[in-house]
Amino acid sequence: MTRNKLYSLLLIACLAGFIYLFYNIHILQSQTFRVCIIKNVTGYPCPSCGTTRAVTLLLEGKIIESLLLNPFGILVAIAMILFPFWVLIDIILKKESFFRTYKKAETIIRKPWLASILILLVLFNWIWNIYKHL
Amino acid sequence: MDAQKVDMFMMTNAKYFEAHHLNAIREKLLSLDESKWGLVQTMQFKEPTTSLIVSLLGGQLGIDRFMIGDTGMGVGKLLTCGGLGIWAIIDWFLIMGATREKNMETFQNAFY
Repeated sequence: MTRNKLYSLLLIACLAGFIYLFYNIHILQSQTFRVCIIKNVTGYPCPSCGTTRAVTLLLEGKIIESLLLNPFGILVAIAMILFPFWVLIDIILKKESFFRTYKKAETIIRKPWLASILILLVLFNWIWNIYKHL
Repeated sequence: MDAQKVDMFMMTNAKYFEAHHLNAIREKLLSLDESKWGLVQTMQFKEPTTSLIVSLLGGQLGIDRFMIGDTGMGVGKLLTCGGLGIWAIIDWFLIMGATREKNMETFQNAFY
């Protein structure tokens, strides 16, 4: 993975995310539309089901409710706001501070004790999602 | 290194790399010292077909990306429900190539 490839991928992903969010808030009114394959096939929610609803709640200022719906929403919202700015500043100043941080974060996350804690948290969130009938 | 040994390595391990990598790998192995043969023989590569199976089953949760060592992308896929389901489908077609690229990275880290 090179710097330019990562940056273009991230910018495209964030742009797609913003378009989907806009579409979801302003154009789509029905609550039955779902993109999640796991939910559509099995009927059970996946760990990140409800993220869109959580981000929408965050935009309305309801932080506690968003956290209770799905804590992933706040993570995604922070990433979607922070990463494009960081990447754009890097591109303008011709630096690679984001790329280096990304690589460092990858090696930190891969440490077994941290990885197992994170996997447990995701599993816990999944159980919670099924319990909440998202 | 002995051309016969290099050819043996290429025959058994060609499936782990992209076609355009093979020539560079061959050249590199030929230029290596004979003492490296043990290290070359014991190198472990990830099977592209296995990662395709994992991608088909657990691609929504980013497990395929975690498996080949793309932790950052894996977290991205996990948090966004497989990139709204679209990225997960795209990855069914990209993951085999990505695995081969990762194998080339492993090879390069060992010998360059």
